[in-house]
Amino acid sequence: MTTPVVQLRAITREFSGSVAVDAIDLTVERGQFTALLGPSGCGKTTTLRMIAGFLPPSSGTILLDGEEATRLPPERRNIGMVFQSYALFPHLTVEKNVAFGLRMRGVPAAEIRTRVGEVLELVGLAHLARRKPKELSGGQQQRVALARAVAIRPSVLLLDEPLSNLDARLRVQMRQELLRVQRETGLTAILVTHDQEEALELADSMVILDRGRIVQQGPPREVFRAPATRFVAEFLGYENFLDLPGRGPITIRPEHVGVLAPGQKPPPGGEVVEGTVAAVRFRGTDVAVTATVGDRVLHAISTDDTLRAGEPVRLHLPLARAVPLAGDDGDARPATSKQQECPA
Amino acid sequence: MSRRAASGLLLLPGVALLAFGFLYPFGVTLFAPPAAEHPDVLGKLGGMLGDAYVLEVAARTIRVAALTTVICLLLGFPVAYLISRAPRRRQGLLLALAVFPLLLSTVVRTFSWLVILGRNGLISSVLIDLKLVDGGTQLLYTEFALVAGLTQLFTPIMILTSYSSLSHIDAKLEDAARGLGAKPGRAFRSVVLPLALPGVLVGATLVFAGAVTAFTTPLLLGGTRNRTLATLLYDYANVKLDWSAASAVALIMTVLVLAASWISGRLSRVGAV
Amino acid sequence: MLTALSALALLFLLGPILLVVAIAFSSGDTVEFPPPGLSGKWFTKALAHQPFQDALITSALVAAGATALALLVGVPAALAIQRRRFRGRRAIEALFLSPAIVPELVLGFALFQQLMVTLRITALGALLIGHTVLLLPYAVRVTGASLAMADPALEEAGRGLGAGPLRTFLHITLPVMTPGIVSAAVLSFLTSFNNVPLSLLLNGPGVSTLPVEMLHYVEFSFDPVVAAVSTLLLVATVLVALVTERLVGFNKVFSK
Repeated sequence: MTTPVVQLRAITREFSGSVAVDAIDLTVERGQFTALLGPSGCGKTTTLRMIAGFLPPSSGTILLDGEEATRLPPERRNIGMVFQSYALFPHLTVEKNVAFGLRMRGVPAAEIRTRVGEVLELVGLAHLARRKPKELSGGQQQRVALARAVAIRPSVLLLDEPLSNLDARLRVQMRQELLRVQRETGLTAILVTHDQEEALELADSMVILDRGRIVQQGPPREVFRAPATRFVAEFLGYENFLDLPGRGPITIRPEHVGVLAPGQKPPPGGEVVEGTVAAVRFRGTDVAVTATVGDRVLHAISTDDTLRAGEPVRLHLPLARAVPLAGDDGDARPATSKQQECPA
Repeated sequence: MSRRAASGLLLLPGVALLAFGFLYPFGVTLFAPPAAEHPDVLGKLGGMLGDAYVLEVAARTIRVAALTTVICLLLGFPVAYLISRAPRRRQGLLLALAVFPLLLSTVVRTFSWLVILGRNGLISSVLIDLKLVDGGTQLLYTEFALVAGLTQLFTPIMILTSYSSLSHIDAKLEDAARGLGAKPGRAFRSVVLPLALPGVLVGATLVFAGAVTAFTTPLLLGGTRNRTLATLLYDYANVKLDWSAASAVALIMTVLVLAASWISGRLSRVGAV
Repeated sequence: MLTALSALALLFLLGPILLVVAIAFSSGDTVEFPPPGLSGKWFTKALAHQPFQDALITSALVAAGATALALLVGVPAALAIQRRRFRGRRAIEALFLSPAIVPELVLGFALFQQLMVTLRITALGALLIGHTVLLLPYAVRVTGASLAMADPALEEAGRGLGAGPLRTFLHITLPVMTPGIVSAAVLSFLTSFNNVPLSLLLNGPGVSTLPVEMLHYVEFSFDPVVAAVSTLLLVATVLVALVTERLVGFNKVFSK
């Protein structure tokens, strides 16, 4: 087994008294794509900045390629960082931006030229090499930022919300582009994002953070199918939370809840509850139904567009799809405690 | 090296220069000029504030500066508004034209008023040609000349500050007010004006302070008959060599300028609420 | 109506300056308008006037020296104020901008008293110090503005790509600040060159600046020589403004 690329041991970061990152342990294996996922203020960006060396941890140890790196300045860590704002050098052309890290490493000019050419080819921007950053579109700037980080053949590629400044359509396209570049270069990558779809689509390993702590980690499929706590479940789009007698707390996705037509026989297994439609949201191919059952609110997705608010409705809960939840330590904390924002 | 030490090192040359070339001479001169025979500036100040001539000069300085500020406002703000609503490409050129005079020396800019207002000047000869007067008319060395010269000097500053606050106001805000039923004048008064007010106030303060402390223009256009505090200070410092009197005048001028910026600071805070 | 008022305002601002140009080409012996005829004789006379020649050299030296010093001292200060967090940052910023608030004439008088009378510093030395202090607020504000507009992540990107603090400054921070530095330099040079109150009070034997010499000339003789010098200065300033416009954009010089 090879040495992990990044190892964090009990990394903690405080900002003037409040804890942004709370004793995190994390191991990133070579070639893996890891996503740090969570709402703003969860500590994900702070963690990334500590790995990069822009922020010293208050306590704990960082190992890069198995070597102690906790106090190493960023320029000696061999990291490739893609910033949310891209941070392209406005006075340099695309090729000079990409060459910057190689120049700083004293790579011979001829080799720089070949490597910059290769990397620009990789991101499909060879024809724009002589442009200045401000002459490029957002998507092109994003590719330059990626090329610049990849060009130095870093030990680890750090991606800080790299797609969040792109419009929705482009963002989805660029995900695959990002994944292709990571696979072709074989680089280890750590992605910080608050977009669960992005993490699900890109990551080999997903790490979910809440208030400075890791609440769950694992392959996206596992985490998605079996969220450990209510916080993770809510973050991943689970909307129905029930406490069934004899089964403890469970959650179930709205798209798994069936809306039964009048007289329709429910599928085998599961429970049928009766309630009233509270609201119907039209979503194009289907509708999102909110129903009140007793004092509970349930959410379902249905293709039946004839449902109207105020009408009675029968819902089918397939218990085979239900996910049992562990006790959520987050709930123990006062609900009013305000989450603090990650600085920058 | 610690980060704090690095910050200190970056600031050290500037702080040293300001301490030696600004704070030290300024403080000593205003409150205890060592070179003066009677270094009691505050005592001198007390005497001056009872001197009718000094009070007349101070009153003239404030009167001229206030009038200049008002005219600069009336001229500068509409120009700034028009420039801010002109097509993007034209804005740069218009602004450059309006602001270019700031790059010229006040001597150059005041000289022209000698030509316009003098006994053989432009206005005088027009009046003679129209047979309105018989001989040359002397408009120089009057308060009118002072206000004219200072207004021309400071209108660009008013345009510049008004423009920079107006250009940050989205033109769509006016459209929105119009859409909600406001007539153009009303939309301007109730939307643009309140938003532009802080910037305009800054401009007015700059103009007032500049007019109070302007030196070249009162020297050339006011002469000895219409002295302002600045030319009075120069007279004490360089001609009469009464340095404690000069210090006292300097103190009055400084207090006036600081008071003006304090009042405008208060006003803009009141306006912001 | 608003347009007419604005045209009038522009005429009021620029007309008098153009008038000076017309006077400069006068063939008459006194300042009069309209000039009786055209000639270039006042330019010849202005260029041959020895005090103007000497004063021009003094002005240029002082303006160049004070601009260089103000940038040398002001750029590091702007860096500290914009890019570092320390206690009293606001107070330090206010200190660096404060020379712009006090009356120039008062500053000139203070420097004359303490530096020239008390400390016996030469007129040239006092001029250089005084003008540097006068320019420091411009230098700090204009270069600071160019830093404030730049993405702070640029420097982090440089560090991440392997440049140490010094190389990050040389290869990234400095180039990013260059338009601001050019603007500040142009503005500072012109401000110093045109200054009267400081230069008037900080004079000494054989040390006088061009605007001060022009002022003295106007006080004693009223002929088109000063108009001719003004016209030459006007042309030079227009050229500087055009070159600056090419380099960094004219409006940037003013949007401080």
